[in-house]
Amino acid sequence: MIQLTNIDKYYDSKFQRTYVLKDIILEVKEGEFLSVMGPSGSGKSTLLNIIGLMDSPSSGKYLLDGNSVLDLKEKVRVDYHRNFISFIFQAYHLIEEMTVYENIETPLIYKGVKSHDRESMVADLLDRFNIVAKKDLFPQQLSGGQQQLVGIARAIISKPKLLLADEPTGNLHSTQGEMIMETLKELNNEGMTIIHVTHNEKFAQYGKRIIRLEDGNIRSDTNRKT
Amino acid sequence: MLKHNFLLIFRNFKRFKSSFFINLVGLSTGLACTLLIYLWVNDELNFDKFHEKGDRIFQVMENREIEGSIKTTGQTQDFLARVLAEEMPEIELATVVTPPNFFPSFTLSLAEKQVKGVAKFVGKDFLNIFSYPLLAGNKNTILANKNGIVISESLAKSLFRTIDNCVGKSVEWQIMDLKRLVSITGVFKDVPVNSSEQFDFLLTFDAFKDLIGIKGEEMNWSGSAPFFTYVLLKEKTNVDNLNTKVADLIKRKSKDDQHRTLFLKLYADKYLYGNYKNGIEAGGRIAYVNLFSIIAIFILLIACINFMNLSTAKASRRIMEVGIKKVFGAQRKTLVWQYMIESMLLTLLSLLVALVLVKLLLPRFSEITGKHLELLFGTRLTLASVIITLLTAILAGSYPALYLSGFSPIMLLKRQFSSSLGELWSRKGLVIFQFAISVIFIVSVLVVYKQIEYIQNKNLGFDKDNVLYFETDGKVIGNAETFISEVKNISGVVNASSMLGNFISTPEGGGMPGKIQWKGKEMILAGAAVNYELLELLGIEIKEGRTFSRLFATDQNKVIYNEAAIEAFGLKDPVGKIVDGQEILGVVKNFHFQSLHELIKPFCFRLEPQAGTSILVKIRKGTEEKTINELQKLYQSYNPGLVFNYKFLDQDFQAQYVAEKRVALLSRYFAVLALIISCLGLFGLASFMIEKRTKEIAIRKVSGSSKIEIVLLLTNDFTKMVIVSIFVALPISFFMVSRWLENYAYRIELDWLYFFGAGVIALLTAWLTIGIQTIRAAKINPAKSLASE
Repeated sequence: MIQLTNIDKYYDSKFQRTYVLKDIILEVKEGEFLSVMGPSGSGKSTLLNIIGLMDSPSSGKYLLDGNSVLDLKEKVRVDYHRNFISFIFQAYHLIEEMTVYENIETPLIYKGVKSHDRESMVADLLDRFNIVAKKDLFPQQLSGGQQQLVGIARAIISKPKLLLADEPTGNLHSTQGEMIMETLKELNNEGMTIIHVTHNEKFAQYGKRIIRLEDGNIRSDTNRKT
Repeated sequence: MLKHNFLLIFRNFKRFKSSFFINLVGLSTGLACTLLIYLWVNDELNFDKFHEKGDRIFQVMENREIEGSIKTTGQTQDFLARVLAEEMPEIELATVVTPPNFFPSFTLSLAEKQVKGVAKFVGKDFLNIFSYPLLAGNKNTILANKNGIVISESLAKSLFRTIDNCVGKSVEWQIMDLKRLVSITGVFKDVPVNSSEQFDFLLTFDAFKDLIGIKGEEMNWSGSAPFFTYVLLKEKTNVDNLNTKVADLIKRKSKDDQHRTLFLKLYADKYLYGNYKNGIEAGGRIAYVNLFSIIAIFILLIACINFMNLSTAKASRRIMEVGIKKVFGAQRKTLVWQYMIESMLLTLLSLLVALVLVKLLLPRFSEITGKHLELLFGTRLTLASVIITLLTAILAGSYPALYLSGFSPIMLLKRQFSSSLGELWSRKGLVIFQFAISVIFIVSVLVVYKQIEYIQNKNLGFDKDNVLYFETDGKVIGNAETFISEVKNISGVVNASSMLGNFISTPEGGGMPGKIQWKGKEMILAGAAVNYELLELLGIEIKEGRTFSRLFATDQNKVIYNEAAIEAFGLKDPVGKIVDGQEILGVVKNFHFQSLHELIKPFCFRLEPQAGTSILVKIRKGTEEKTINELQKLYQSYNPGLVFNYKFLDQDFQAQYVAEKRVALLSRYFAVLALIISCLGLFGLASFMIEKRTKEIAIRKVSGSSKIEIVLLLTNDFTKMVIVSIFVALPISFFMVSRWLENYAYRIELDWLYFFGAGVIALLTAWLTIGIQTIRAAKINPAKSLASE
């Protein structure tokens, strides 16, 4: 599904070039659950942003679903975001002025789904994550774990093929973190491709495959035996 | 999608309550100002525009070369209309009329009833050229009968209580010692208020010719006469071609008069473009129309700037929303729309508030502008408010919409957001712009106020206070001397006299122009025909010689000049010398017979006790009410049933400055508004800035900074902006007020204090606005703001 070849990402300052990513070669197949680990500043988030089409590499090739996705027009990129890729964030990034229900509904509105269909789709997810009772609350009224559940619900409502999670458990204590990781595992079992950046060794183990980044390079790439 | 947007906008308003109110207050007052000014401008622009054939009605104007400069006037000869209609095939109809304010009020009598009214003598085609709708009578024949009269609806009602069946009835009109019995040939609808010609009844010009003894075919092209000539052109006439044909008509007809040319001026333009300078059109009321339109735009702009600044300032708090939406597939377009709708909604809300404000302020505004303005929602006003609102919304919303939607989601993900230099500059620039406009307003207000104060306190060379005057009507005519001596017997009366016309007759100033010959040259000289004691009554000082006296029978052939006239003649020891056949009896000190816009020109007093048309009475101060009552009794003993209409000379004097007083009053309101709206914006910005810097403030305090240092630190940025705006504003305002003062021949000197004062006012208000907030911010316990992270 994802094919990265010789991806570099660097910043030029006056006297030197600082590499964030260097010569990354990575292939991710459909249905994989990939954990990306590494210390701060190793380029994990940048890699995720490049995969998520939010940042572009300085050089290299990127094929997504067989198509080159470098230098896309806004319209095409927006299309990928509407239908193919979705995100979960460490800080949840729910919109404060919107209720749980409305937050989950947002992507569908941009996708142009009819109001009637939206209703049943959101209801299904609320039901699935057991947050029906919370649907009219605002994000600030929820616990961190609940907020992240809403974040996941929002991410998957448009049925994306690829889910990118940037430290989704970073702000949560371990029980809540486990619940989130279980949810992601379940989604992966249903066939969703997931790439997940984390610091946490234990949570990394939920992935079927783990890569470790150091100074912009992939140091190790291991498949976990199941 | 729309519902979703509205919901978000609504919640955003709730979240940012203070900026919501600042915007609402700013935009609604801005819109209210604009709407009020729109109503006024619309009224001005529609003056004299109600005539159906308006695009073909022209006034014949005359350019007269006098001593190297050109004087433009609408005064023409009575036969010009007839000649033009005969000789120019392009002219469909032409009419001669007596100019407005040519006569004092006429008295119409019917049996025991007497009514006063303004008369106009007009040619027979007058009603075929202008659209004054008739309620009774036939348009084509109504003015054919020399002894006919056409009266207005309200005149008919006050004479007969009805407009039915009054055609054919006879009434008698009287002015001075002239009276005629005429029969009513028609009734017209009252002249609308937005007409520059105001009259209560029409008489025929043929009757006027009889009265003053102009013979039918007599044509003296080199003479001058005060009448107005209007023409109706045939459709599709080329005005430029006709103008060249008309231009040298007088030169062709009269061999010895080679300095007068004629031209046509669109009647509808007369009201707004009435001024001429050396033969060239030089604006007129249109200057005020433009000025106020610009003021409206600027005030609205200041309010829009608040919206822009506050929206971008709170961007740091909305950036996440933008990022998320983009990540989940929102296009930039969609976001731009969201913010545009937000500004649209806010503007619409402000419009509603503005309409309420307009409704409340309209009576006062009408009073200030001297108009009867109404908030009537026709297509025009609706369209205007929709356009104004839309433009405001777009102007206010476009910058934030484009700015906010331009954030890339990566900024959100990297959790970094810093204001770019350009953005800071544009926000600062906008604040500077706002305050510069406020400062310009303040300087103008100060200067206009000072100039008006100067006018009020200037020694005019005559005493206008406690002098009232009224027209000689009815039986007073012919018995003026007796009447005046009876007036003098009233205890509160200091003195009484009479003169021809009014001392301050028109807003431009008094004096009837007359021609004299001096050293082989023709000179135009203002003058007045007065009775004994008028100069004493008005307190005009004698410099040389003496004033008119009953003791010398020959005084009637002598004249009194002012200093300016003597200077123009170049005479030394003028008393006793002869100018144009008349001996100089005395010289008076210069006095302002015109407004202070004009330099004092030569003036001449002649003694004509019998010519008086108005009686002037000087009253002892403090006895006004009692004395006026007595005067009224005396007047009514001569003219039972007639209303005693009197006016104070001071009123006429004040009327000369109506326009500037209006400007002064309005600009004061607008200046206050501009400053308030600017300060509202500053208040909003300051609170955002302080919020952003809470942590910094806390750390500084922990590191030992005093409260005052914190306050100064926070105020510093804004102080700099306001000071820059003052420096931007000063040259502009200096230029503007100097131009304005040039309108006055007698004016105040510009003092740096006005500019300094305006700067201080702006700076103080700005400090007051942000001061409270910075002091509060400096007082916050640092532990609190640091702990919240």
